[in-house]
Amino acid sequence: MKRFLIMFFAMSMLFIFAGCTEGTSGQDEPSSDGNNDQKAKDSLVIGFEADAGTLIANLDVNYTTDTQIRNIYDSLIERDGQTGEYIPSLATDWENVDELTWRLTLKEGVKFHNGADFNAESVKFSIDYILDEANQSFYRSRWANVEEVKVLSPTEVEIKTSVPFPSLVQRITEDLLIMEPGYVEEVGTDVAAKEPVGTGAYKFVEWSRDNFLKLEANEDYWQGEPAIKEVEFRYIPEFSSRMSAFLGGEIDFFKNIPVDSVAEIKNTDNAKIGEVSSARINYLALNTFHDGPLQDVNVRKALNYAVNVDELLESILNGYGTKMTGPLAVINSSYVETDDYGYDPDKAVELLEEAGYDPEELTLTLDTPNGRYPMDSQVAQGIASQLQKIGVQVDVKVNEWGNHLEKIQNREMGDMYILGWGPAFDPQSTIENLFTEGAPYSSFYDEKIEAKIQETNAIFNEEDRFEGYAELQHDLVEQSAWVPLWQQADLYAIKEDLNFEPRVDEKMQVFEMSWK
Amino acid sequence: MLDFIIKRFFQVIVVVLLALTVVFFLIRISGDPTTLFLPPDAPKDQIEEYKELLGYNRPLIVQYGDFMFHAVQGDFGESLRSQEDALGIVLSRIPATFQLAISALLIALIIAIPLGVLSAYKRNTVFDKVGVALTIVGQAIPSFWLGLILIYFFAAQLKILPSGGGGTAIHLILPTLTLAAYSVARFTRFTRSAMLDVLRKDYIRTSKASGVPTFRLIMRYALRNSLIPIITLVALDLGVLLGGAVITEVVFSWPGVGRLLMQSLMNRDFPIVLAGVFIIALIYALVNFIADVLYAYVNPQIRVK
Repeated sequence: MKRFLIMFFAMSMLFIFAGCTEGTSGQDEPSSDGNNDQKAKDSLVIGFEADAGTLIANLDVNYTTDTQIRNIYDSLIERDGQTGEYIPSLATDWENVDELTWRLTLKEGVKFHNGADFNAESVKFSIDYILDEANQSFYRSRWANVEEVKVLSPTEVEIKTSVPFPSLVQRITEDLLIMEPGYVEEVGTDVAAKEPVGTGAYKFVEWSRDNFLKLEANEDYWQGEPAIKEVEFRYIPEFSSRMSAFLGGEIDFFKNIPVDSVAEIKNTDNAKIGEVSSARINYLALNTFHDGPLQDVNVRKALNYAVNVDELLESILNGYGTKMTGPLAVINSSYVETDDYGYDPDKAVELLEEAGYDPEELTLTLDTPNGRYPMDSQVAQGIASQLQKIGVQVDVKVNEWGNHLEKIQNREMGDMYILGWGPAFDPQSTIENLFTEGAPYSSFYDEKIEAKIQETNAIFNEEDRFEGYAELQHDLVEQSAWVPLWQQADLYAIKEDLNFEPRVDEKMQVFEMSWK
Repeated sequence: MLDFIIKRFFQVIVVVLLALTVVFFLIRISGDPTTLFLPPDAPKDQIEEYKELLGYNRPLIVQYGDFMFHAVQGDFGESLRSQEDALGIVLSRIPATFQLAISALLIALIIAIPLGVLSAYKRNTVFDKVGVALTIVGQAIPSFWLGLILIYFFAAQLKILPSGGGGTAIHLILPTLTLAAYSVARFTRFTRSAMLDVLRKDYIRTSKASGVPTFRLIMRYALRNSLIPIITLVALDLGVLLGGAVITEVVFSWPGVGRLLMQSLMNRDFPIVLAGVFIIALIYALVNFIADVLYAYVNPQIRVK
């Protein structure tokens, strides 16, 4: 027995020391020396909620992956961080040759981190990577209309689509990142997924799974030398731990501050709150696919009158959010102002009675995720209690996120549910995915509106297109297609001396940041 | 003895296969992963196409057969999200989990055994009562709460220890203490009661009467004989700890198996979940297998039965 115990201790010590030197190694002496004020101001640590799924571009449709790798890879077209407008990046110009053909002019003299030249071949390779079934890219569904990519010259590329595809610019901006063909072919996708090479402002240094991703400045970056030289994304899944890490000075900023923690951060030395009205919208879907009272437009109108959005914003979100009245947010390129139903409980009761329902007898279901959107389940409870004021009973069901999404996609939802959508810059993806029969995300369908949506989506002329979406917005409000709630406020905790303007598209481009 | 080992080892295999079966069906009941990986605007036919590509549209029993066929060969498929070998991803997290588990277990033993022995020896004194009270508190404190309090105090306020992450010994301190708290409490209570049983035995009284010095009496005669049940408990706890302390790993951002499993479950990355369950079930069953074999070695009665 003694021998066993000695062996056990010896083995244990071996494990501990082995563990210290390999496996999770690589982290320098932690910033646990605490006082980061002394730290040289050219490095940045971002507290991030989850690891990237992979570091290869164009594969994983996920915010956590995309946010990180966008510092390594560049896109052809960018968005302005504040207005959401398209701005040139690796592509200097893009135009329609005809309804099925797009031509992009590329920037010259840009180099990948390994020294290879960026050119039309790399654009073709990156799009083909998405389209190749063997790669199982989860972006492929969005690119299915792309038929062929042709290299016209090193700086010119042509994209052929099978149907008119006006939202290709949006796809290029939001999905496509440019990879280095020579590198991927040489090392294979497995290695390229762990040691990425792009043209971006930051070069890959080290990735310790579920631990950190370290990057260093690309001094030869085509937009200029980055101000911040070293970047670390540190993965801290639990909010309270992220908060403590921020208060302890271990991390310099982090996103998604719950509205009830804002005051604590404001009261901390050397800390500020960054706020931006995001292009992600939250809404209460009124399910017309479900055989129930919500198929009646008067019932849907009644709900629009009975839900007091201003009160929800003030009392539950502490004012953090921008109220919406129609299907599109102000940030959307085709936004027009629409009528606000306002809060009018008497009118709601009147409309319900007109539709043949006694509010006191009416019971509706309301599904909500928990923690997916700011205060989502509390908002659902708030809506339930507002509807109860006019006598309508609401049965609130809180779902795990995966189940919530699946219930929507399988069309198993009941009367109402809470959901978010975004980033919603472009009218087509929002309207098409929310208000047609084929798309379940707000589960609304009306024959006439559907016909109009299809008609508008195919319009190429910009003014006519704008006009079409403007009419649609009014029609959807008239039909009470949903109860619009708000644009989410993205809240960041930021060190006082860090220059960082939160972007409307939720991205964290370290190139845009610097220390004061 | 060999017969006994073979029989027990066969049981290990059965346990692991059963665990895989149960978890396979449970997670499939929870839903289909395809929708979570595709962009939300993916049309229905695309979703169906991916289901077909990944094999999720086949009858469940066919999927199960296919999975088991490959699993027994050590092939759990690729992670849906990163397209890397699922088993490889899980194995790469094992060192971090071992490091945390073993250090927590060592701390627990170092604190708990002397504490338990003293409590038993000084039974019904103030020392014993305080000890018992502490163990109840230790067992009752939820680890996420203890973890957050430790982080808040040592990382956010005093700024002397890191709030989380893995790598150096300094990162190990807070999660180890959090994880050890529960085991300390369990081991102390168990040691105390095992010691009390032994201390009541005739041979202890006889030894005492024949003038054996107290220290020798406790260490040599009493503690040694109390150790057998303690080994069982340690083996069980070690199995649990090696399976990844999910909450502690999440709170302290520790890059171990528990956290990986938790995240994969949320993302519905089923191949990783199943590979993880396989490893955890295997470790748990093997640790118990080793404990059983050790018993049989120590006490021949067991292997005869």
